[in-house]
Amino acid sequence: MKTLSCQHVGKVWMSPGGLSVQALKDVSLTVQQGEFVAILGPTGCGKSTLLEMIAGLEPTTSGRILFDGKQVTGPEPGVVMVFQEHSLFPWLSVRDNVGFGLSVKRVVSAERERRVDQVIDRVRLTRFGRHRPHQLSGGMKQRVAIARALVENPDFIMMDEPFAALDFQTRVLMQRFLLEIWLEFRPTIIFVTHHIDEAVLLADRVVVMSAGPGRIIEEVRIDLARPRRMTDSGFNDYRARLTELMECEVMRAYAEDDAGAISDAG
Amino acid sequence: MQGTGSLEPGAALDAAPERARVVPSWAAALLKALVPWAAIIAVWEAAALAGWSGAVLFPPPSAFIAFAIQSDFRVGFGRESMTIPVAIVASALRVLAGLAVGFVAAVVTGILISTSKTVSDMVLPVIRGLAPIAPIAWIPLGIVLFGIGNPTAVFVVFMGVYFILTISTVAAVNTVDRRLIKTARSYGASKSQVWTRVIFPAVLPEVFTMLRINFFAAWMAVLAAEMVGLKNGLGMMIILGREMFNTKLILLGMCMVGATGYLVDALLVQIQRKVLWWQQAR
Repeated sequence: MKTLSCQHVGKVWMSPGGLSVQALKDVSLTVQQGEFVAILGPTGCGKSTLLEMIAGLEPTTSGRILFDGKQVTGPEPGVVMVFQEHSLFPWLSVRDNVGFGLSVKRVVSAERERRVDQVIDRVRLTRFGRHRPHQLSGGMKQRVAIARALVENPDFIMMDEPFAALDFQTRVLMQRFLLEIWLEFRPTIIFVTHHIDEAVLLADRVVVMSAGPGRIIEEVRIDLARPRRMTDSGFNDYRARLTELMECEVMRAYAEDDAGAISDAG
Repeated sequence: MQGTGSLEPGAALDAAPERARVVPSWAAALLKALVPWAAIIAVWEAAALAGWSGAVLFPPPSAFIAFAIQSDFRVGFGRESMTIPVAIVASALRVLAGLAVGFVAAVVTGILISTSKTVSDMVLPVIRGLAPIAPIAWIPLGIVLFGIGNPTAVFVVFMGVYFILTISTVAAVNTVDRRLIKTARSYGASKSQVWTRVIFPAVLPEVFTMLRINFFAAWMAVLAAEMVGLKNGLGMMIILGREMFNTKLILLGMCMVGATGYLVDALLVQIQRKVLWWQQAR
């Protein structure tokens, strides 16, 4: 069992002028292998920063992150990141984008081709292997990004608002597609979103974060059978509860911003 | 048909297809480009035919092209004699060699400088002090250093583009999308692989665009170098015309300068489209 555990993690950003901003404070979170966890929070609550720290791309200021019992100090093999649109390398073909990780790790080309073939077929993009990213639609680009993650046989997939730039229809299709993939390969997924419906639809567990400084205010387990539908009777209860939590947080953050603005002015 | 929009993939969807196919888009573009030139030449030729007195100093194309054919595309006497095709090739190769060396050197320097904040803080002020010196201003120094010959021309073009392109490489490195770098690192790319496989390809199109913008200044510098020192190439052809008071030769030289410059620029555009296509792609 590869468990991820964040213990009292904090992050302080230092600006060049010497001002410090507490982005995250005392975040503790444990994720079991195979879980699908959504991190839900308003813009600026540090959820992306948390994800990048787990992925080893950003150091923590306090606390520690353990992956499989070992402290994370840099990008770990088996932990991969999927960003929003525009994270494909525009100068590489679909196949070369998918094979990027294998190629930098110097996996021999026959093996690389075989694995790329496999996942590219799984995301139904075989016909587009030689295409370049700008020739693809938004949904196809995100399928390439997912294929690029899957080809690594990852234990953990970190997704930072991966569908935020997609239109509603494509988004629904991609959510279904991601669930299919998750049920088939069972990687652990940590999925950052600010969409309540998306979180309830996809996740086993929703971690709700507050803004300024970002911390975890609630964890909600979603006990709904899959496949879920937004029209399910239980769905609305979760949606209502999370909406309330989020609204409270947003209002509080606004109030604090105003107070801060007034005290700054004075 | 709305101009070059039809070159975009998928543009066929919003154009009326049966009308769009009557004239191929490249032919329409060529026609649009040629009509104004045809009009200018027609007015010029008509003025000469009508007995315009300026036609002696300003001979129309029919006169200077006939002159080129009569003289068997060979101009000048003795040591200064040259053929027109050789002059064109000499000038074009000089500028292309200088651009190529300047581009490669600038991208390498720019990336090396960017790897260290301290180094870039120290080196950039020097480069920013040298960049404003016009390519033409390097000619005397080039002649002193390399004598009269091709190395001087290449040196002048190189100095004309190197500093500017180094600055633009540093600027381009700073604006590479952070997500691409993070993605690469998350997939196991080492620090040096991030430079070679992400930052390097990401900056190329932007630096190449700067190269194209600076090509014209470099081209002028080559011609000026040919006029004052190198004694061959298209620049020298114009000077020969002046020395012999042969306005046909002067205008022929000017036309060749324009046409060759246009073709080299078109070549750069093709390189940009076919080799470094991912900038317009984004």
